[in-house]
Amino acid sequence: MAYLTVVDGVKQFVGFRALNGVSISVEQGEFFTLLGPSGCGKTTLLRAIAGFNDLTSGTITLAGKDLRSVPPHQRDIGMVFQDYAVFPHLSVFDNVAFGLKPRKVPQAEIKTRVAEALDAVHLGALAERLPAAMSGGQQQRIGLARAMVINPRLLLMDEPLSNLDAKLRIELREEIRDIQKRVDIATIYVTHDQEEALAISDRICVMSAGQIEQIGTPQEIYGDPQTLFVANFVGTLNTLDTGPNLERMLGQLSLRAPNADTWTIRPESLRLVGEGEGAGPDHAALEGTVAKFTYLGREAHVLVKTDVGELVVQLGAAELKTLRSPGDRVFVLVPRDALMAFDADTKRIKLED
Amino acid sequence: MTRRFDFWSLVSIATWAILLLLLIIPVGSVLLSSFIDRSGNTTIANYLAFMSEPRYQRAFVNTLIVGFGGLFGAMLLGSIMAFCISRFQIKGSRFVSLLAILALVSPPFIGAYSWIVLFGAGGVVRAWAKEIGITMPPIYGVGGILIVFALKFYPFVYLMVSGALSNVNRSLEEAAEGLGLTPLQRTFKISFPLVLPALTAGGLLALIQSIADFGTPRLLGRGFNVLATEAYALYSAEIGSNMSMATTISMVLIFVSMAFVMIQRFMSRRNVYHGNMINKPVKIQLKGWRNWLAHFAVYFIGLCGAMPVIISIIYSFRKTSGPVFQEGFALQSYERIMFNLGDVVRNSLTFSAIAVALIVIAGTIIGVLVARRTNLNTSLLDGAFMIPYVMPGIVIGIAYIAAFNTGPIVLTGTAAIIILSIFIRRLPYTVRTTSTALRQISPSLEEAAISLGYSPFQAFLRVTVPLIVPGIIAGAMLSFVTAINELSSSLVLYVGSTITMPVRIYLLILDGDFGTAAAMSTILLVLSGIAVYIAFRLMGRNEQALL
Repeated sequence: MAYLTVVDGVKQFVGFRALNGVSISVEQGEFFTLLGPSGCGKTTLLRAIAGFNDLTSGTITLAGKDLRSVPPHQRDIGMVFQDYAVFPHLSVFDNVAFGLKPRKVPQAEIKTRVAEALDAVHLGALAERLPAAMSGGQQQRIGLARAMVINPRLLLMDEPLSNLDAKLRIELREEIRDIQKRVDIATIYVTHDQEEALAISDRICVMSAGQIEQIGTPQEIYGDPQTLFVANFVGTLNTLDTGPNLERMLGQLSLRAPNADTWTIRPESLRLVGEGEGAGPDHAALEGTVAKFTYLGREAHVLVKTDVGELVVQLGAAELKTLRSPGDRVFVLVPRDALMAFDADTKRIKLED
Repeated sequence: MTRRFDFWSLVSIATWAILLLLLIIPVGSVLLSSFIDRSGNTTIANYLAFMSEPRYQRAFVNTLIVGFGGLFGAMLLGSIMAFCISRFQIKGSRFVSLLAILALVSPPFIGAYSWIVLFGAGGVVRAWAKEIGITMPPIYGVGGILIVFALKFYPFVYLMVSGALSNVNRSLEEAAEGLGLTPLQRTFKISFPLVLPALTAGGLLALIQSIADFGTPRLLGRGFNVLATEAYALYSAEIGSNMSMATTISMVLIFVSMAFVMIQRFMSRRNVYHGNMINKPVKIQLKGWRNWLAHFAVYFIGLCGAMPVIISIIYSFRKTSGPVFQEGFALQSYERIMFNLGDVVRNSLTFSAIAVALIVIAGTIIGVLVARRTNLNTSLLDGAFMIPYVMPGIVIGIAYIAAFNTGPIVLTGTAAIIILSIFIRRLPYTVRTTSTALRQISPSLEEAAISLGYSPFQAFLRVTVPLIVPGIIAGAMLSFVTAINELSSSLVLYVGSTITMPVRIYLLILDGDFGTAAAMSTILLVLSGIAVYIAFRLMGRNEQALL
């Protein structure tokens, strides 16, 4: 049995259902991320595990024992908050030591453990300061040290980086990942940032409208999305216009999927080629004109008008030398195995080779 | 979901009980009494009398005159001062603010009397002016009342507007500048609309206070009667006391005040602006005559407003012979208080302390209830919060007499009735500030403590309480200032043994013993000053909290 399990979790609020039969299981030492847009239920699920909002129905177990009957302050679960929740009236040291006091840790041990925790988050020098004047990044480091120092059975993080600026976000997410691996503690991380989820997680659970769309490793989620929602939410996606032009292209590639409702492809799978290049049984070439060229430094996005709709083509560093201008006539190379088809229920259709 | 009966259910019930006993029953008694004639029959004769008798008509019109006069005077002085202080470099602007605070916390009545000392029939300034050949009219009458009201109530407008003005994002004015508006156009088209809610709120306070004040018209009016003085006269007349007419006038006063509160809310209903404060306004250094004019205006208003306080401090140290002032200085007035009036000071201190203690305990617990449990709806609180605005002290006093003179609970003549009247007037304020403070504390702070192993109650005690205690103490200090200066309800409710300092000051002034009155006012002022100082130390110098 997995370390943490939630089975058939339902949370009913007045007028709407935040969680609609959610089941997850998290292994010991695993970094598990709940990913989804706001209102998808990810924070509700996290808070149910923390004990701040009980489920309407369903079971939660930790290490084989029922968790719902345990009051939140006895669950021994560390939590990191979006707004840091650092106690403004306590020094950095006292903030981190706060959770050790009810655990009756001896004074000398408190000193060493707090010092270790602060060193781990690079705040050792600021122990005696009050947190009010500190930056968001420093405050969140306090929050992290405070949650880790009690050696909790489970670590929960509720969008801990979303109030920080972009550079710091990347820096701190690496630190979180390193610390988590070092102390080897099961962690559930909530975010709406797909890049962050891909970078940090062992496994990702993509949620939408109170339900789970897909659970899998970052590679599975990005490379093999099982629903249209996941494909759209994680990464970017071109959706092809249905019609005779699309049928002709699929015929060229000898792809048949009678139930297919939506055909999609990721921008980085497409390439721009010259006339007559590359086409064959595994690749279709679509003629089109450049509508927009967006230069982003290490990559560029070219919006190409074709007869299956406007497609975004992502150019890598090697192809950036050629400048494309609106109106240029180009050919878009579509690889057969990169096309993804979804049925009317937005479920992925397996395409036979 | 069913919630089990717990501590908070008890608090909820207690809150309702407090409101019922101390508010609904007294106001209900006033309402009832106004519909009953002397022989005990139900009648609307009182209201008919109110509408037909010239005496009451005149008082009604006079009330509106002093109300709007006070409003416009306070708005004029307050906005000039606010504009100068928040937009120009004024030397000693903190001192000027202090003068405004002094005017605000100065004991009531003393203002009117100090102006009589200076500009009355035998006024010092008038005597000087006469010597150099200028004849000034004495300050009595409606003009004098309006001058005193403008100078006493301008701090309401000043504090409100200067707060709003210093919060107008400078980018807005810069944007207007970029669009080609002249400085004057900017002021009227950008800054003015943005501070209008503050201006009307400050003006409303001045208006309500002007309507409620009855000491000033009584001392300065000389026949110029307003509703508050009529109500008090009807209530206190030794022969032919007419309680039902007094309560009728009280009801009219409540409705007039309520109407103005509604009008102000309606006016500023859409005009709440929340700016981001990235770009704070800067103060301009004026040059030449403009600089002189700005300094003169600010110091003139500030010093005139604080004049009664200054006069009474000076006069408290003057040598006296009986009630007559002599040349030179002495501590006689203070000695008289020490030896003869110690019990008055003691009364004031104990009543205020007990009232504040009750306010803090009840206000904090109810505030937590309001902030954390939504079952006590906020509209109820909003209703209760209007009490201090729409119930003039005189009316509260009369209402308490009407409710607690006979019947199951008899409190007249006790200290309790004075304490409770102070309690109910200040309680809503404390509830509001506590619940606002609690709402500003992120719930994740307590959740963090819970996740770290503290029970919810312990988390509240160790995280939330330390964060709100400074604010609670500061609020208590400000309540103390209100409590110890409270005059008009105590004047109705006092008996010989429960006389308080403001009441005694009033009686001393009526007796013509200004020396002792001045000394007692000075003591009150010192006590208020200490309380304000402690409050400012705890929460920063937040002058708006005094409103």
